[in-house]
Amino acid sequence: MTSVSGHVLAIRDLRAGYGRRVVLENISMTLAPGDWYVLLGPNGCGKSTLLDCVAGRLVAGGGEISIAGFSLVADPYEAKLRLGYACAPDALPALLTARQCLEVHAGAKGLSAIAEDIFLLAEELNFTPYLESFVDTLSLGTRQKLAVLLALVGDPLLIVLDEAFNGLDPASALGLKRHLRARLDRRGGAVLLATHSLDIVEHYADRAAVLIDGRLKKEWQQDEIRQLRTSRGDFEAALAQSIQMS
Amino acid sequence: MIALLNLFSVKSSRLAGAPRLMAAYLMRSNRAAPQRLVPPILLGLGGVLAFVLLYAERDWVEESIQWLRHQILAATGLAIIVSAIATARRRVSKRAEFARSWLAALPVRARIAGWETLFIETLPAAAAVGALTGVYLAVTVVAAFTPAHGGSASLAWAAMSGGVMLGAILSYGIPDPKPIDLPPGSRYVPHRGMAKTSTVRPSLKALGLWPLRLMFARAQPRLVARAILPILVLMPLGTLAADAMVIIAFYMVGGALLLLIPAAISVSGLSARWMAPLPVRGFAVTRAVLIPTLIAIVGASAAEGLFLFAIGASLRASAIAGSVLAGAGCLLTMTAARLWRARTPSATSRG
Repeated sequence: MTSVSGHVLAIRDLRAGYGRRVVLENISMTLAPGDWYVLLGPNGCGKSTLLDCVAGRLVAGGGEISIAGFSLVADPYEAKLRLGYACAPDALPALLTARQCLEVHAGAKGLSAIAEDIFLLAEELNFTPYLESFVDTLSLGTRQKLAVLLALVGDPLLIVLDEAFNGLDPASALGLKRHLRARLDRRGGAVLLATHSLDIVEHYADRAAVLIDGRLKKEWQQDEIRQLRTSRGDFEAALAQSIQMS
Repeated sequence: MIALLNLFSVKSSRLAGAPRLMAAYLMRSNRAAPQRLVPPILLGLGGVLAFVLLYAERDWVEESIQWLRHQILAATGLAIIVSAIATARRRVSKRAEFARSWLAALPVRARIAGWETLFIETLPAAAAVGALTGVYLAVTVVAAFTPAHGGSASLAWAAMSGGVMLGAILSYGIPDPKPIDLPPGSRYVPHRGMAKTSTVRPSLKALGLWPLRLMFARAQPRLVARAILPILVLMPLGTLAADAMVIIAFYMVGGALLLLIPAAISVSGLSARWMAPLPVRGFAVTRAVLIPTLIAIVGASAAEGLFLFAIGASLRASAIAGSVLAGAGCLLTMTAARLWRARTPSATSRG
């Protein structure tokens, strides 16, 4: 797959919800090649709903989503070919082995083989011994590692992660963060991550936004995050102050 | 509306000291009104249907009551044993469940906790007595319309209900049965023949194994052992061992089909949700999931036809039975899988 020069992800006037309950309204954002975009916000603000819409798991009530220029509605095949989504660990099929999950994902993406770097990452995350294990015998953290590995199958341009570092041991979390950063620098794709961990914004993110009550309350660009990093007080306080001021 | 709210608050405040009962009550209240109405409506319709059937077969009912009167001691004994074992098992499982429950650490007064526990543990026995009473009342009404009325079913009802209650009480005198700790479903999935290769071959084939594995996971050895017992008991004396094996195989294959079809329907929805972010058409996923299942259904139906033939049915009747089973099984699986797929929410709200 070749890298793109335009937006990796473009969302325009997105509206979504469950039944009559509207969860997201007027969400517009773009992710450029190389962006690590962190979505912050309190519990229940709509972060997972937004990621579900981007992953095509939830049909949006209005607006447009396109991945690498391909509309998720008009051309879902091409859009999803460029998407890697790490599902929640409990959504993985309990009665398939980890290897079979990888085979299914690679098969669905039309690959003839899985790239070597996935296995290298699996080795780094100490996941290789679990390849033949059934998913229902894996711990939460190991399932989380599998979900992330599945998201990376096929070298997608856009990687969507929902609280992907929850349950990971510190060494694995660090390894994964470094892998994602290196992948972005090399590949030029983008990562969209929903999380509560401010350390990711502090050390890895290029851009960030806070979602409150289904609306993007504040967005930080790369230079703003750099300024926050160099601010005298601690990063968390500077970020919180920035939210309050907006 | 205010009266309804008051009623709710009165009921819930009465249960406030008994957290398990209150949680169960609130969960029931949280269901949408139409869902709450379904069980009473189904119960009412079932009652009417049972009454009509009992009336239509009133001669048979009369004979059954007579037969039960002659077997009253055996029936009462059986009611006591079944009730005692079932209550003891429920006691063990409910206590283990409560120890892990989110309500386990709440303070409950000893007297209320005792009543609450007793209510929860003996609920099936109480429900059984209620069901027996319902049947007794229906039979009594039917018998009143029968000209050759040979006597009431009071004795049978009293003996059976008393047996159930006595069994529930006696269960507290017997030692706790071994706790049942269910291992992960994959424990029961055949591991032999699984590929131990070092390469990953991209393919959707593994999706086809999922329903078959779910079938094995649901067919716990304990369940299979229990399913065989009544089949053995119901076999007439003098049955040849070869015939018995064919009959058992017939029921086991039928049981496997009964587990496989719901498993395939369930996997159809689960796989659709899991595969939603992937660039693969829904049809391809359904095909990958269902084709091995449909092959298994056709194979099992053919085996059922063969077993019928071995038992003594004609070749034509066996072939028709096998074909009908295969056709109905495949049609049911495909239709229900499609409906289930459409009904499965594509995403859940997690915030």
